[in-house]
Amino acid sequence: MANRLNWLQGKTVRKNTPAGSHSRSSSTPQVHSTSSTIFGGGVKDPSGRITEYSSDDDQCPVCKSDKYLEKKLRLLVSSCYHKMCESCIDRLFTLGPAPCPICNKVLRKLAFTPQTFEDLGVEKEIAIRRRIAKEFNKRLEDFSSLREFNDYLEDVEDITFNLINDVDPVGTEARITAYREANAALTLLNSQREEAYILSLRQAEELERKEKEMRAEELRREEEEERQEKESGKREIIERLERADGADAAKVVQRTKRERAEREASRKGVAPGKGAQALLRARMAAAAATAATKDTPHIPFQDDYYAYDDMFVLQRVYLDPSSEAVRKDREGIMRAGGYQVEEAWERAVRSAVAGLDLLPLDTVPSSYAMDQGGDVIMSSA
Amino acid sequence: MAASKTPLYEASTQFKNWRYSAQSLAKVRSSLNAAAVSVIRNTFELDEPGSSSAVSFLAPDEELLLVRLYVSKIPQLCGFFRFPEEVEATAVSYLKRFYLKNTVMDWHPKNVMLTALFLATKTTNNPISLEAYTNNIPKTSPSDVLDLEFLVAQSLGFEFAVWHAHRALWGIWLDLQTVPNAPPDRATSQSEVYDTALRYVRASRLSDAELIYTPSQIALASLSMASPELATEWAESKFPSGSQGLSALQATVAAIRTLIAAAEQPVDVESVRGVDLRLKLCKNPEKVVGSKAYLAKKAEEERKAEEKRTRKVIEVEKAMAEGDPFGDELAGRLDDDDDDD
Repeated sequence: MANRLNWLQGKTVRKNTPAGSHSRSSSTPQVHSTSSTIFGGGVKDPSGRITEYSSDDDQCPVCKSDKYLEKKLRLLVSSCYHKMCESCIDRLFTLGPAPCPICNKVLRKLAFTPQTFEDLGVEKEIAIRRRIAKEFNKRLEDFSSLREFNDYLEDVEDITFNLINDVDPVGTEARITAYREANAALTLLNSQREEAYILSLRQAEELERKEKEMRAEELRREEEEERQEKESGKREIIERLERADGADAAKVVQRTKRERAEREASRKGVAPGKGAQALLRARMAAAAATAATKDTPHIPFQDDYYAYDDMFVLQRVYLDPSSEAVRKDREGIMRAGGYQVEEAWERAVRSAVAGLDLLPLDTVPSSYAMDQGGDVIMSSA
Repeated sequence: MAASKTPLYEASTQFKNWRYSAQSLAKVRSSLNAAAVSVIRNTFELDEPGSSSAVSFLAPDEELLLVRLYVSKIPQLCGFFRFPEEVEATAVSYLKRFYLKNTVMDWHPKNVMLTALFLATKTTNNPISLEAYTNNIPKTSPSDVLDLEFLVAQSLGFEFAVWHAHRALWGIWLDLQTVPNAPPDRATSQSEVYDTALRYVRASRLSDAELIYTPSQIALASLSMASPELATEWAESKFPSGSQGLSALQATVAAIRTLIAAAEQPVDVESVRGVDLRLKLCKNPEKVVGSKAYLAKKAEEERKAEEKRTRKVIEVEKAMAEGDPFGDELAGRLDDDDDDD
């Protein structure tokens, strides 16, 4: 029914719906060409974040057809970094290797790749670097000194630069071949190491994910239990109230609540289960991290504020002409900021008795820090 | 911190760092004076050999006289600006404390007094803008006040909180109402006693009393000068009569009374003027902008900085010449992340 009414609403209905055996990447669903089967997803990015590059101004340099007339136009890049549309590729290379219509280099149909970057220079550089990285994978451990390692890196960069900018291509290729022959075993070993490293990373990631899931599961379970506990508690209270119809209701409620609290406490005492271990571990790691930068705790006030309390009896009101203006101030302008005359009185009385019994010093202080110029030494303050 | 708690006043910086005996005060002042004289004498000699023999340097008590004159100027300024009593008392304490760490021959008390007062307005939460402050004091620019501000704060050890005798006096006056059998309207009927006692507290600021005795003792002594009966009545309500504490307190009060009585004598302006004239000749030339010694000190500092710079350049060049400019110590830390190409 819905399908039949689609034409009324102006919707186009695709005739060849996914009944075909095509399996295409979701990023290029509109492409219809035999070559799409060859290139599969095209872009080498399993996460799917990188998409194929295309713009509205695309035009095939061979057949001059453009996006305006040919909506499905898709340009692919040859191994000599020239763009061509899929129909041209089909036309030229179906019958086997043929020269590029632009630079005459012999190309094969399989060697065409989709474009990722707008600038083909970047595309080329990345391809070259990927290739070089596969071959030149020596590590710092493979050298006796840092200097040798740096020289090696310099060489690799030289080769890469030559390849990218087509400087002495024959000589460069010869260098690569020579290197490959000399270091075949080491290259293989290093590539295996790299794979092992990636694998271990992936495993660690997986482990972390599982742990997180477990913690969430545990939390959910605890919440559920708590909810049930609460509900059963309520039911218990109601039941007891029903049974003890004569007794004091408030007392029954209180007793039940107390009992429940005790039960809960005992349950929590033994509870720390498996999931808590992971949490504990994380917390210990955090504690170890902070222990390194631990400082002496700041204690703001340790003195005895009440030391003089036995020496005076504070009155609620004093006869005090000097503070009369503040007390009479009805709008509280003078008391803005929290001034309270009672506090001022207390402070004054306290300072009246503070140190009253201290005897004057008769001894000479021992240390006196002063530098040659007669100025105070800063650190002595 | 000790396990047992210290009472509030005994935990204050005033008690811990600014409490002296009369002898230690004299000793501090004379040693400061001696050190300053020897330094300044050296500077004069370097400048022009033999020139220092003609200079008569200030003695410790002459320095003190000058400081006292400028302490007595603070209440006048505070009256002009209508600053509260607390600002005045705090500024006086700052000025006195400053000259227990510095000498008059290095820093003239005129500017230090202005700075101490400005600092006191800020630390007691009675702020005034610098322009309003300096515009109302003749021949003073903002830089006169600000240049010394850090020096003053540093000399005070950044200990800005001061316990004052006038507050203690107010407390005694309030507490007198709780003394048994006290007439209920004493605070109003005998208010002239309080005013007189407050005058004595103000006079005590010209003396060294606050550096030797506690504020409550000074307040009690002031009260006893205004009305001995009231003071005895209050003191006996605090200590059992005939106890050792009471007799010790009475001895202390008597000592403070002599200090206050001495401080009440006005400063002889003529003698201070003579001291000030001599100070012009003997002050530390290194601290007078534009003088030969000042320039010499500046040049010396400049030379040291230059030396440091060249040393650094040589070190860097050496590091560049020997081995890797990026350094060898990284070797251990570089690992598999660097083999991309």
